Amino acid sequence: MTYAFDFASLLEYRDILLAGTLRTLALTAIGTFFGLALGVLGAASRAWQLAPWNRVFAVYVELIRNTPFLVQLFFIFFGLPSLGVSINEWQASILAMVINLGAYSTEIIRAGIEATPRGQIEAAESLAMTRRQIFLRVVLAPALRKVWPAICSQVVIVMLGSSVCSQIAAEELTFAANFIQSRNFRAFETYFVVTGMYFLLALAIRQLMLRAGDRLIGGRRT
Amino acid sequence: MALVRIDGLHKHFGSNHVLKGINLKVERGEVVALIGRSGSGKSTLLRSINGLERFEDGLIEVDGERLHAGQTNLRDLRQKVGMVFQQFNLFPHLSAGQNVMLAPEVVKKLPKAECESIARAMLAKVGLAEKFDAYPDQLSGGQQQRVAIARALAMQPQVLLCDEITSALDPELVSEVLAVVKTLAAEGMTLVMVTHEMRFAREVGDTLVFMHEGRIHESGAPDTLFTRPRTPELANFIGSIH
Ligand SMILES: Nc1ncnc2c1ncn2[C@@H]1O[C@H](COP(=O)(O)OP(=O)(O)O)[C@@H](O)[C@H]1O
Ligand SMILES: [Mg+2]
Repeated sequence: MTYAFDFASLLEYRDILLAGTLRTLALTAIGTFFGLALGVLGAASRAWQLAPWNRVFAVYVELIRNTPFLVQLFFIFFGLPSLGVSINEWQASILAMVINLGAYSTEIIRAGIEATPRGQIEAAESLAMTRRQIFLRVVLAPALRKVWPAICSQVVIVMLGSSVCSQIAAEELTFAANFIQSRNFRAFETYFVVTGMYFLLALAIRQLMLRAGDRLIGGRRT
Repeated sequence: MALVRIDGLHKHFGSNHVLKGINLKVERGEVVALIGRSGSGKSTLLRSINGLERFEDGLIEVDGERLHAGQTNLRDLRQKVGMVFQQFNLFPHLSAGQNVMLAPEVVKKLPKAECESIARAMLAKVGLAEKFDAYPDQLSGGQQQRVAIARALAMQPQVLLCDEITSALDPELVSEVLAVVKTLAAEGMTLVMVTHEMRFAREVGDTLVFMHEGRIHESGAPDTLFTRPRTPELANFIGSIH
């Protein structure tokens, strides 16, 4: 038995694929922005033992790192409405991604903060800077720089993980693939192409973020 | 009235009694050289003066700003006390100019343009006017230490604390840093410096303070102390470094 490949049959679905790709990117962008912001707060709380937040973040990080992303997503999407919080599939997806990335990036960024030489903090203290000023102006940029490659990898993992948001009918790239193959019955071609698209997205996001890091985090590599 | 007054300062690290009742007065414009064996408490004393170390008993007063044991608000005191460290401790992500501008900008909240002109003036003072945009890793150790001095001076401290600021430098870079300190002393800056450069201490210091096992064992005019040490410990110490 021979199988006749028919990639051309995908052409008529290109708008759906494009829309799914853009939504995956949008999910990733929003999730990354707020996830990293949460990670910075968590890392600061943990590294500088700001009670009670250090405890809160410690529990949060352990909870998220030791449970599956799909279950976290279901919990938010199906669980919260039973508490009377109404939430749609996009809100649930974004929330799940922010919470997930927030936990992993808390640990990543914390390592960067803890690698700050003690002497630099003392120098800033001796200049009468406050703790908040020291964190924002002295500690944060070099810390982010040190761990930026790890953050980029984690963002890629989160982007790939966003494919499970198709399970709550968020119409992102994997949802588009499922939809298309249910119409054209070309599972191989469809998933082959979508796999390639994820692969390219991952490469592109990593490169983009590495470059953005060089530009945005201020100053030079250390 | 003395610019810096230290009364009955006691400090422990755990069970290690490191400062055992330090009394010290520093007049405005005076240059005090702190000497003594490693572990005698010189750094701890210096670091106590701007609140980098807590102490259990005693009082420190700098230009009317008092610091009690256990005090947590250190901002006013620290604005009067500058410090330069053995390891430079420049901020690696900021250029030399930005290193110097940072504290005037965020602590004194001066306009950015003013901070920049302060930074340029301070870098010029330490002979590094042309290095405003250079990053720490592009500078030699001696240059980095001079930027660190400029950074401390930019806050216009009443007294500058220097903790072995040439000890981490290659020998050929020591003199450029000492030259800056000498200029500051000549301009009337109040200095308390821990140093192993005995010739420099003798030349620039107004007062020599010899610390031994957590106490000020002997102090006075450098020439007198070097030529006629009163205690065998100081005589020993001077003998050991010559
Ligand atoms: N952070 C610290 N923790 C515990 N002990 C310390 C610490 N810093 C200094 N000490 C101890 O305090 C004593 C005085 O140290 P220090 O002030 O650094 O001496 P010096 O500068 O004269 O060499 C030493 O016994 C040292 O081991
Ligand atoms: Mg020391």
